[in-house]
Amino acid sequence: MIYLFQLMNGIGLGMLYFLLAVGLSVIFGLLHFVNFAHGAFYLLGAYLCYALLQYGVGFWGALVLAAIIVAAIAAVVETGLLKRIYRLDHMYHIVATIGLALMIQEIVIIVWGPVGSSVPAPKALTGAIMLGHFIYPEYRLFVIGFTAVLAAILWWVLEGTRLGAVVRAGSESTDMVSLLGYDINRINTAVFALGAGLAGLAGALAAPIRGVDPFMGVEALAVAFVVVVIGGMGSYTGALIAGLLVGIVQSLMTTLWPAGASLAIYIAMVLVVLVMPRGLLGRA
Amino acid sequence: MDRPIFHFALAALVALLLPFFIRSGTLATEVLVFAIAAAGCNLLLGYTGLLSFGQGIFFGLGSYTLGLALIHTTLPLLPTLVLAMIVGSVVAIVIGALSIRRQGVYFVMLTLAFAQLFYFLAYTFSDITGGDNGLIGIPRRGIGPLALNSSWSYYGFVAVIFLISFAALQRIATSTFGRTLLAIRYNGERAQAIGFPVRAFKIAAFAVSGAVTGLAGALHALLIGIAPLSDIDYHMSESLLVMTIIGGTGNLFGSVLGAAFYLIVSDTLSAIWPRWLLLLGALLIVLALFIQKGIWGLIESGVGIVRGRRGGPDAMAPGVSGSERP
Amino acid sequence: MKGALLSTDGLGVRYGSFTALSEVSLSIGANTIHSVIGPNGAGKTTLFHALTGRVRPSAGRIDFNGHDITALTDDRRVRRGLARSFQVTSLFHRLSVRENLRLAAQGRTPWQALKMWQPAERNQDATAIADSILERLELTRVAGRSAEELSHGQQRRLEVGMAMASRPLLILLDEPTSGMGIDDIATMKRLIADLGRDHTVLFIEHNMGIVMDISDRVTVMQSGRKLVEGAPGEIRDNPEVRRAYLGSMMTGGRA
Repeated sequence: MIYLFQLMNGIGLGMLYFLLAVGLSVIFGLLHFVNFAHGAFYLLGAYLCYALLQYGVGFWGALVLAAIIVAAIAAVVETGLLKRIYRLDHMYHIVATIGLALMIQEIVIIVWGPVGSSVPAPKALTGAIMLGHFIYPEYRLFVIGFTAVLAAILWWVLEGTRLGAVVRAGSESTDMVSLLGYDINRINTAVFALGAGLAGLAGALAAPIRGVDPFMGVEALAVAFVVVVIGGMGSYTGALIAGLLVGIVQSLMTTLWPAGASLAIYIAMVLVVLVMPRGLLGRA
Repeated sequence: MDRPIFHFALAALVALLLPFFIRSGTLATEVLVFAIAAAGCNLLLGYTGLLSFGQGIFFGLGSYTLGLALIHTTLPLLPTLVLAMIVGSVVAIVIGALSIRRQGVYFVMLTLAFAQLFYFLAYTFSDITGGDNGLIGIPRRGIGPLALNSSWSYYGFVAVIFLISFAALQRIATSTFGRTLLAIRYNGERAQAIGFPVRAFKIAAFAVSGAVTGLAGALHALLIGIAPLSDIDYHMSESLLVMTIIGGTGNLFGSVLGAAFYLIVSDTLSAIWPRWLLLLGALLIVLALFIQKGIWGLIESGVGIVRGRRGGPDAMAPGVSGSERP
Repeated sequence: MKGALLSTDGLGVRYGSFTALSEVSLSIGANTIHSVIGPNGAGKTTLFHALTGRVRPSAGRIDFNGHDITALTDDRRVRRGLARSFQVTSLFHRLSVRENLRLAAQGRTPWQALKMWQPAERNQDATAIADSILERLELTRVAGRSAEELSHGQQRRLEVGMAMASRPLLILLDEPTSGMGIDDIATMKRLIADLGRDHTVLFIEHNMGIVMDISDRVTVMQSGRKLVEGAPGEIRDNPEVRRAYLGSMMTGGRA
């Protein structure tokens, strides 16, 4: 029974990893830009959710606002800073976004202090329900349901809308997008904000589960990389499968070998890399 | 000013002058230790074009190897350092071989994920590594009649190793091997097409870098008497990269400057304001935007202005002309 | 064929479900100049990639100098005596011209370049080869400049020189006159003809003037297959070839 419980936990966790990784992946796909500040946006989303709840904003409001604020900040950063360095070597992308991540992390510590804090689940979802023979926290079920809906919407946005088509065309060639008559600068900003917003949302959703602390960003960044390495960059399905895989492995290991739970996901990554260097669904 | 002997003289000058400017023997030693590690990182980044986020692995393993050897065996100090280099090198070969199967940012992500893997290995197997507390109680053995128990005598020892390592890396960088790495960095496709097995050369670069970084990690553990978990974590990899890039890539003395700048500034600022990392973050952004060649690049253009740009390409190192551009 | 330095038998390359090359059998005689022509998308570049080892063929085999090289990687083929130039100039732009050629000469014995203690300048064999090629390419005057400072024509010549430096038996040239002005084209034409004296040359080219003037044999490709092969005169008069090219291009001049 405990395994079923952990499997459920793993799915919830995996869906959050998916949100993180798909944001990273979409940004990379269009901009060929690896965003080391992605974890910092996750961190910021979590803390904004925490703060908004403290100010008495309802949970739904906090969730949506946190994501929107993170996306807005990301849009400002993209227009003011990142746009200037796209043409440079990726070393400078990494330097600049590491710098950005450090700044966000330090600002979080200045505003909210260096010590972490727990975040209450919304009142309506604090209970637990019986699932067959075991009790399961409602909030975690909500996360699974909510992220599943979100994943479906994302799928539709990326595969079924004009924006998605433009993003996919853009990842092949930016000239193509310009030819189609779109302003590539605005598309870049929108996509960067979307990716960052997804990271922020993942952070906000994770806050009631794991609490908030200033160093959760680095951890999330590394996990997002693992998911992308396993799933294959630029693949929506890859991110979904790898996210779930990583979440489930991590959760099951918490029961089997608690000390090695985090270690297990990195070992899983090495195994995948050995067998399939491009990841499960990576493109050539 | 591109002659290797001139750069070596500068490095020797730094080792000689540091004690006059820094009161703490520990900080002065740290500058040289990290200068070695940053130069090792530079061999990969500046000469081979490989941005490795896994340098902390080799550094941390160097620390643990030295700690375990000195605690559990009666090995003298120098063989222990060699052992740390071998461990660093062997692990670097494995990680390098696995990571270079992907290129560009995928390579970077892989090395970062490996860094996390080794961090959690060290964290999980705390029976061996001491986990969160670090591997404590590492004795600092002397070499024959030389006792290294004062902080300045240890500084002297590290300074000698620093200069030997620096000279060795210079020799490697200007060798046929180093020139081939540079060719791979500038145009890997062409290097392969003219007959070089590019992967093998990248792995060889990793082997050298791992050895040098492992040596630095060992010296660090010996300096502070413990092999802390922080020697192998994400931030170690990040700091080593940041030092290398701040100093200027593709120039070994730049790494010395980068390490000195990073450590001295962080030591000064962290005493004044615990949130100094905010300033470091801002500095990195400024670096990416405006100072892409790092401190060494600034010095070079400064000298160029003073000289009135008389030196043409002939003044550059033989075979290498033009300066770094992103 | 007797005396063939390079031959392919039923060579095919597929990318997923797309067949880029099929059933190509070639035979390149030693010390001949052999050109491959054909409209865009005919499979010339894919053929080139398969011969250099960049692309692994999905069918057929390649024999070179009496050995089956089908499974060899590109760097190993260089050691067997097969060298190439690129259509889009691909040099070590920030290294000097001489250093570019020294590296290319070193590429024939790459493992010797693992010597970490030997200063690059003391590598006399490779430097001597580089100097002789500099002379042959008339680039000695600019040997100390970085490759990026050269004119386009000079860069194209250096591009060919990079292939010469590994002392190959066979030189593969991918559109050597690509993007050149008229004066430079004449120089390049002389250079290729000159190469034919002591090497076997296989080149892809759009400029029919060069193809017809200096080739011993011409292979025409279309839709991933070999259409015809023959001496330049036969090709010029072949009705099938004229149809493939819609007539106009066979009179010479630039494509």
